[in-house]
Amino acid sequence: MIKGTCWVADDYVMAYDIITSEHWTSAIDPDENSKIVMSGVKEEFKNEGAFKAKGFTFIVANHNFAGGGKSIEHVITGLMGAGIKAVFATSFARLQFRNAINYGLPFITSDDDMHLGCKTGDELEYDADQGIIRNITQGTTFTSVPVAPFVSQVAASGGLMNFVREKIAKGEPIE
Amino acid sequence: MGMTITEKIMARSSGREKVVPGELVWTDIHSVMTMDFLGRQCFDKFRSLGKTEVFNKDKVICVSDHLVPPPNQRFANMLNEWREVVKQHDITNFYDLGRQGIAHQIMVEKGHVLPGTISIGTDSHANTYGAVGAVGNAIGVTDAAVAMATGKAWFRIPKSVKFNITGKWQPWVMAKDLSLHIMGMMHWNGHLLYKSLEFTGPAISSLSMAGRMTLCNMTVDLGAKNGIVAPDVVTERYLRNRTKDQWDFVTSDVDAEYDMVYDIDISDLAPTIAMPGKLDDTVTVDKLIGTKFNKAFVGTCTNGRLEDIATMAEIMKDKQVHRDVNMILVPASQTVYLEALQAGHLETLIKAGVAIDTPSCASCAGLHTGVAGDGDIVLSAGNRNMTGRMGSRNAQVFLTSPSVVAASSITGEITDPRTFDI
Repeated sequence: MIKGTCWVADDYVMAYDIITSEHWTSAIDPDENSKIVMSGVKEEFKNEGAFKAKGFTFIVANHNFAGGGKSIEHVITGLMGAGIKAVFATSFARLQFRNAINYGLPFITSDDDMHLGCKTGDELEYDADQGIIRNITQGTTFTSVPVAPFVSQVAASGGLMNFVREKIAKGEPIE
Repeated sequence: MGMTITEKIMARSSGREKVVPGELVWTDIHSVMTMDFLGRQCFDKFRSLGKTEVFNKDKVICVSDHLVPPPNQRFANMLNEWREVVKQHDITNFYDLGRQGIAHQIMVEKGHVLPGTISIGTDSHANTYGAVGAVGNAIGVTDAAVAMATGKAWFRIPKSVKFNITGKWQPWVMAKDLSLHIMGMMHWNGHLLYKSLEFTGPAISSLSMAGRMTLCNMTVDLGAKNGIVAPDVVTERYLRNRTKDQWDFVTSDVDAEYDMVYDIDISDLAPTIAMPGKLDDTVTVDKLIGTKFNKAFVGTCTNGRLEDIATMAEIMKDKQVHRDVNMILVPASQTVYLEALQAGHLETLIKAGVAIDTPSCASCAGLHTGVAGDGDIVLSAGNRNMTGRMGSRNAQVFLTSPSVVAASSITGEITDPRTFDI
């Protein structure tokens, strides 16, 4: 069970704006990337560390979160470094959806339009086992689309690197 | 029920008889590409998996494209670290400055992607490989490291969408126009998210390899997992002297299942332009006639090939770039550069007042070679026009085909190449 406050994003939050182009060539590092994460999305997140300082645990988004076709992992490490524990959206752009799975950061879709009734700063509770998202502030509950077993296994290992490293160390096939 | 070409490739690459959409499989990878600004991190991660030797030294392809030639000391230092790590791992195919090209152009041009197989790369436009009937997929550094170690990657089998393209290509209308037309038609709102796009029909059979590469290249910007054209006689001719690997003519079964099928007749397709900021905000050229701009760019993994340069040269022969426009051409690879030189296109373009730079991703990644400044209005034959993509967040980028860029650069305002006096 994870509990914390949420930031409600607009439609089409671009990977380009989550990590702006001058930082694409920097190292993939949660601490470093978190300082500038979201700096291109909103004026209030422009200054270094501004998004992280808000202390959000969740992001609630609508369509095509982290879209615009950028495969850089800085987007995911930046969010993780800033304390984000899960992102809920109507849909995710596939490149970052994949990266999120590989890092074990839950990118969760819901058929419920939870962004409509959700306000920035609301307190949410996410029950990953049951697939339930509760908005404690508003008193509402949403159901997530179930996650594939492979995705849960990767998350339980702490990401694809650990998942594969364990298999290589044990001499197990990857299949 | 039969399988689509992408399902067949996923099935044979995962040692299965059959796969169905939604299924999650580990597949064999034919080749994995990484490039200068992410490559060192790929190798670092690869070693952290407990491996010292990559799965196949011939199938890990390393390319210098985003940072070359280094415009500043930071990039120069990054490139030195990159060269060191490639050397350390004894990689066979390293396309460094002097032999370089944009990674996706190199992957196809040098025969590192093969029909019926899967290749991945740490750059979003790896979808380009679908042009030769491969599944090309963009991945992050983590997936590349895992593939370098194991020769494998995980995939969820995508649903397939068929685009049946009919009609006759009109003069000066290019594959880019079809890409942008589909972009405007399908939008970014998720219709094609995670899907496999298959391009088929008479107008695809008659499309050159360069055009197929443009079309597949931009499927990533539709949110799709891959774009693919089944191998045919054009593919065979193209690959004949590029690879010694065996391949076969894998195609979709007649009873394959598609999530959606679209029929597009290109006979009356007009040159198409994406408005600054959003790729799916497209209009036909007539809506923008007379719009002034001050920078013009042709290049990138989308439109930096010989056919694109030849089209420019044909339009710009004995003409002059407008005095208010700076125009830059960056060929997609050294091979393309040489072929354009030998064909006389570069002489034509230099005489017309076009600046030509050495092959790289150039300003398309906003990193160097003609980046946009505040207030610039750019007419680009690249692939993205989001805020800040080519440099300043206060610049505007219109995206279109090389023929529109060429004709417009002479008049200094957006011009329809079909009505231009060539």
